[in-house]
Amino acid sequence: MELSIYNFYRRMAMVGIVLLVGIALISVISITGRALIGIGLKPVPGDFELVEIGSALAVFCFLPWTHLSRSHAVVDIMWTALPQRIKPALIALTDLLMLLVWMLLIWRMGVATLDYYENGETSFILLLPVWYGYALAMCAGVVGLFAYLWKALESFGLVAIPPEHDVDPVGGH
Amino acid sequence: MDDLTLALWSLPVLLLLIFLRVPIGLAMLSVGLVGSALIFGDMMPLLQQIKTLAYGQFSIHSLTIIPLFMLMGQLAAIGGISQALFRAAEAFMGHRKGGLAMASIGACAGFGSICGSSLATAATMGQVALPELRRAGYAGGFATGALAAGGTLGILIPPSVILVIYAILTEQNIATMFAAAFVPGIFAALSYMFVINMVARFKPHLVGTVERASWSERWHASLAVWPVIVIFVTVVGGIYTGLFTPTEGAAVGAIATGILAYARGGLTRKSFNTTINATAAGTGMIFMIVLGAAAYNNFLALSGLPQELAMWVGDQGYTAFGVLAAILLFYIVFGCVMDSLSMILLTIPIFYPMVIGLDFGLSPEQVGVWFGILVLIVVEMGLITPPVGMNLFVIQSMAPDIPIKQTYLGVLPFVLMDLVRVLVLVAFPAITLFVTYF
Repeated sequence: MELSIYNFYRRMAMVGIVLLVGIALISVISITGRALIGIGLKPVPGDFELVEIGSALAVFCFLPWTHLSRSHAVVDIMWTALPQRIKPALIALTDLLMLLVWMLLIWRMGVATLDYYENGETSFILLLPVWYGYALAMCAGVVGLFAYLWKALESFGLVAIPPEHDVDPVGGH
Repeated sequence: MDDLTLALWSLPVLLLLIFLRVPIGLAMLSVGLVGSALIFGDMMPLLQQIKTLAYGQFSIHSLTIIPLFMLMGQLAAIGGISQALFRAAEAFMGHRKGGLAMASIGACAGFGSICGSSLATAATMGQVALPELRRAGYAGGFATGALAAGGTLGILIPPSVILVIYAILTEQNIATMFAAAFVPGIFAALSYMFVINMVARFKPHLVGTVERASWSERWHASLAVWPVIVIFVTVVGGIYTGLFTPTEGAAVGAIATGILAYARGGLTRKSFNTTINATAAGTGMIFMIVLGAAAYNNFLALSGLPQELAMWVGDQGYTAFGVLAAILLFYIVFGCVMDSLSMILLTIPIFYPMVIGLDFGLSPEQVGVWFGILVLIVVEMGLITPPVGMNLFVIQSMAPDIPIKQTYLGVLPFVLMDLVRVLVLVAFPAITLFVTYF
């Protein structure tokens, strides 16, 4: 059970990678089309808009996995000096905060989706309704919500952490 | 409490959260949102703002360049490119005094030209070069120190994730920033080689030796490197000449590197999984910081602190170079404990208006480019300065038998060289700026 949750969000991250490769391909096709305009080809119409939607969606697919695999950037320097007793509580509170922030973000994104649905705003070239992108991202966000919930349950000691994922947070770039 | 005091107090609160190991992005996001709520004095305008906060940030077209460069770097790491680069550099330099370490620096520079991340460069080149260096008899701490320093060439030599962020924050042209970073990047690689040469001369017991390669070996080793050169010239050249946008350039680079990795048989099931994990987790990490910084900077802008601070500094009558020195010093000190990307996102909105208003005898556009490169170098130093230098940890984890103290000692001459390099670039802005005249 525990492990299959991790595997699920790893797959979700993989969907993000597929989107990313898709974005890259659209760009490459667009460049080729623009370069060969002389022989009748043309760039992908609205490639910018597609790239933006794809990119946002990919990031929403990555974020739950980043949190679940404890890959967010943290500063370790004071951590070892803290008393051992309070560390689990701090981790649990942090994960709770992350969960609350994520809920806030997707709630507001849902409101934005409805707003854009009502005002009918569309993108510039493809005339795609803006709410499409928001709705897709919100779906990814809602699916991701369970990862944040699960991580919080883990750090409150309510569910077990699969041993291969029991890591200390690290991060950098 | 007025808005300015509130903004000033938010900094220690933010640092406290970060030191309690709250993820940096989450800390900035929370403090930013709470701060904005306090300034508005009402939840509605803030809730209004949050509606588009996340999607708005994640769908910024030029930010798409970041996951694409991450993917490109990860694909480069599994494509056997690092080995090819190291072999080629070794064939030409290996037999010299400290030659194998210099070859590692050269290979890092080559890898940096298709990878925009310092950690990926250190991790990839470290895996290839560290065993070779130790086999040839190089002292452990010197080898790890040199590789950690070499890893920073990943962000110094374009493409560079940090430069993209700086360009977006300050509305600079990404192509110009990449062009400006090129000469200082080469300069960095040469200066590291110089350090190695000096160490080899004065502490010969720290370095080992390898045999001189024949010209036919050199020829064959060089042949294996040509795809890297083609990809670099296409991506950076294409961006610089305006053939395509930076995001499109990153897309071309990612696809080309993917094809190369596939052609070299590097795309196995296992390596592909690693690539996916690293790209996904790394991108998520960066965008969380981007999101947090957006919320925090909204709050700072609302409080008016950056403008007030810039005006205050202007009124004090400090010399331009004095202010610049203070800022660079700040980055070096904070870089010892903070993550470089968070530092840039957090401080550039404050420092940039300050610096742009000062008189360096350059145009504001030139100051913008020059300051960006200087900041890039000093935050990169944070990756190799003890106690929290991510590059040091990455290399160290590959050789747990070498005491971390020796790595600290080994990297010291490179850190000193970085300081010298910063001074030279401050004294002669033309080194950075002359390419932008073309």
